Amino acid sequence: MNGESEMNNREKNDPVVVIGGGIAGIEASLLLANSGRKVYLVEKTSYIGGNVIKFEEVYPNMDCATCMIAPKQQELLANENIELLTLSQVESVSGSAGDFSVGIKKKARYVDLENCIGCGACYEPCTVEVDNEFEEGLSKRKAIYIPCAGALPNVPVIDTENCLHFKGQICQACQESCVFEAIDFSQQDEELQLKVGAIVIATGFKSFDLSETTQYGYGKLGDVYSAMEAERMCASNGPTEGQILLKNGKPPESVAIIHCVGREEKGYCSSVCCMASLKLSHFFKKKLPEVKITQFYSDLCIPGKANQKFYEEVQESGVDFIRATVTEVSSSGEKLALKYKTEDGQESTLAVDMVILNPALEPGADSSKLAEMLGIPRGKAGFFSEKEPDLTSVATAQDGIFIAGCAQGPKDIAETVAEAEATVGRILSLSK
Amino acid sequence: MAKKIGIYVCECGANIAEKVDIDQVITAVSPLKDVEVVERHKLLCSEGGKEFLKQSIEEHGLTHLVVAACSPKQHEVTFMSVCEQAGINPQLFQLANIREQCAWVTPDGEEATDKAIRQIRAAFSRVLYHKPLESKEVECNPDVLVIGGGIAGIRASQALAAPDRKVYLVEKAPSLGGKVRSFSKLFTNMESGLTLMEQELKSLQENENIEVLTESKVEQILGFLGNFEVKVRRKAEDKDLDFNVGAVVLATGFELFDPRGLPQYGYGKLDDIYTSLEFEEMNLPGGPTGGKILLKNGKPPESVAIIHCVGREEKDYCSKVCCLYSLKFDRMLKSQIPQIKVSHFYSDLCIPGKAYQKFYEETKELGIEFVRSAKTEVTSNGEGTTISYETEAGSKGKLAVDMVILIPAMESSSDARKFAEMLNLPQDEKGFFAEEHQLLSPVASAVEGIFVVGCAQGPQSISESIVQAEAATGKILSALVPGRKLELEVRTSEISESFCTGCKTCILVCPYGAITFDEAKTISVVNEVLCHGCGNCAAACPSGAVSLKHFTFGQIYQELKEVLR
Repeated sequence: MNGESEMNNREKNDPVVVIGGGIAGIEASLLLANSGRKVYLVEKTSYIGGNVIKFEEVYPNMDCATCMIAPKQQELLANENIELLTLSQVESVSGSAGDFSVGIKKKARYVDLENCIGCGACYEPCTVEVDNEFEEGLSKRKAIYIPCAGALPNVPVIDTENCLHFKGQICQACQESCVFEAIDFSQQDEELQLKVGAIVIATGFKSFDLSETTQYGYGKLGDVYSAMEAERMCASNGPTEGQILLKNGKPPESVAIIHCVGREEKGYCSSVCCMASLKLSHFFKKKLPEVKITQFYSDLCIPGKANQKFYEEVQESGVDFIRATVTEVSSSGEKLALKYKTEDGQESTLAVDMVILNPALEPGADSSKLAEMLGIPRGKAGFFSEKEPDLTSVATAQDGIFIAGCAQGPKDIAETVAEAEATVGRILSLSK
Repeated sequence: MAKKIGIYVCECGANIAEKVDIDQVITAVSPLKDVEVVERHKLLCSEGGKEFLKQSIEEHGLTHLVVAACSPKQHEVTFMSVCEQAGINPQLFQLANIREQCAWVTPDGEEATDKAIRQIRAAFSRVLYHKPLESKEVECNPDVLVIGGGIAGIRASQALAAPDRKVYLVEKAPSLGGKVRSFSKLFTNMESGLTLMEQELKSLQENENIEVLTESKVEQILGFLGNFEVKVRRKAEDKDLDFNVGAVVLATGFELFDPRGLPQYGYGKLDDIYTSLEFEEMNLPGGPTGGKILLKNGKPPESVAIIHCVGREEKDYCSKVCCLYSLKFDRMLKSQIPQIKVSHFYSDLCIPGKAYQKFYEETKELGIEFVRSAKTEVTSNGEGTTISYETEAGSKGKLAVDMVILIPAMESSSDARKFAEMLNLPQDEKGFFAEEHQLLSPVASAVEGIFVVGCAQGPQSISESIVQAEAATGKILSALVPGRKLELEVRTSEISESFCTGCKTCILVCPYGAITFDEAKTISVVNEVLCHGCGNCAAACPSGAVSLKHFTFGQIYQELKEVLR
């Protein structure tokens, strides 16, 4: 009797590890923690917020993304039931539902989370400059840095690959500039073993690699951008502070947005790109009312009760939609020449200043390694497979392991949050 | 008791000290009445800073606290918990934001110092009028009412029910199962919806923590998160059942747009034109044709047209799942009548997600024709029907078919309005229940404790409906833990009985349904349990009868007086 109730109690209080600190991981962690569970949130970068914090605004209501998610980030950082492990990755998993052992490698930040107040005084004296990955390489950062304004925790990280101190040179410029004694070169990487009852996979997505395409001139022609690069260009906290400029420093007069880049290669519709393309049109029209925008698409996929209205608004703002396949983008004088073919086989050309490619979504970078460790099958496209594809997307073939968000397949923010909440529903109802 | 006020100025390293002359600030605020101590600190939010603050409060026996530092968003909670540890009511504290609102934005040092002094005087002036509001807790009932016995309601009930949590599942029809029961096949696995439902119902019956109430109608729901009183009318027994629950899940499903409103499709006038749900029923083994796809004349059709997006323009949204289930229809038609010719008339193929393109491609390989049509009409040709279509480029075509299946838009169920009114629940402009936040809170409603899942919230697939049912489960299990009390917001609004004129303006602007009308006294009354302290009512009240605790007119006046001095 006593043993049984102890057992029951233990299960009820089993900690949970959530892998991935994007919107799905944040929502799952908060709900679990508020129910009284201990949560370890494992995030490989130095900040939480994932892809959502890269967006200036989110469709269909054009809410400011950082304003929307910042209270959740703050709540997470303040929640005593959540242990946030940034710069951390899962290295091993053993055991079964109710009794997992998860090995974590946590890299040193070299900046003390308690002492640092995020004032940024340490960046200026750093003499290193490298491309900022967060800004899609569109701007530079120092070797000690916060990826962008709004990344939380608001504490920088030292990139040991580029930091002169860690390359063996005599430099402690950042340390000398910090009045809070927050910079600590002696921090060590740690290895942790977590005992948990359940695991949530929320490792998100990355974009289809555009360097795999040749016909659009990406990486070769100056003003051909990916959708994420365009997002950052539109963002007021981005590399151009929200200014949309061509390589020659002038604003574009005409822009083409190409949908479904990589769809054929991947073999699926990425669900959110039509809306994301409409959003980019909205930004461009707002910032440059005279700009001529043409969208090249095959089928418009704007599912659900709220999206059509946004499409109509964008259409009314004077955006052209051409149902056609773009076969080639090439340089033509100062402009880009876009060759396209409509469904009835007619070929035409359009000259524009800027081209934006909207690539397919793929599972996050470390999915295959993680899937192997967790024993979760993946589909052909590499997304984590759900146990009952037509019934619920959150349960996996392994009891006690759940998936939420784009780790399972391309989806929008609302669907991602619902899945995160659903994993919590599953976990909390397991122990009853 | 004499007031003893402490003022503490944070340097925030160089962040504040570099711009604001803190010595000058201290000199300026020290003479204020009842100020017991004024101190500066390098970093008050640090562990050392908090310890210093706590000891200083205790040492000086302070009654009120003012901290001049950063934004309340950053550290209000931090200093409120120091208050608690040092034995001061945390409401008797005010944070003056001299970083974000002063040092960081006021370039001139002298101006910044003057501004900081005003801000601290304002905080000092206001804190004297603060009330020591005490936090309250209420008991909560962990049980849940689920309305709607379709797949979403069933799955939510199963996930929620536990030995310490009873679920009442109310369904107006004589049996559970919703729409899924009438689907002879489900996409993409092409298994029977009826079989799925039978399994679901079996495990539901075995669950002793679920009370199923079929042929029942919810007559009334009163109360708030943790404490709802429910009245259910049981038709068969001709009696009412009363019980209490802590949360409500609305899973009232969808209905199809009625194509009779669109004469161009001939529905209701011409033979052999069916809606998608009618076609589903025709395929049921227990259906009118015993599961056989037959024309009115008793023969199997040789050709079928499937017309997409019926009513999309009228409803002004894409119903999300229609393209997918029409592909399922192709497979059902082809497996029963292999030689049948199937043509789709559609505008855009919407098959979002990782799994469906393959389903589409494999279906297409069965020999299905897809015609992109901007305008489609159905007319009689004497023997059967003719489809007239027009491509986007404007070229026209005709096709004679034996049978037409219309794919109408999905609408919110006709019960939705009744529940919206009963629960003071907002509906969006399309008639679906509105979410608390479209992106960040997709299954909660604006009324705390009421959740909206499945097609009651918007068109979605079975799997998405189940995910939402599980999501509501997650929210409920996280919020209503048996044995745990709910902590209430202390900064709520209150309505003065003598000033209220009963105009009900406050009721209109309250997003939480927290204000009700006392018909006997003809005044508005705030329910403290529901009030989030947003202040809408206080701002809107034309008689000045509403005041928001901790943001009373008196307190704000005191603050402004010093800022503008």
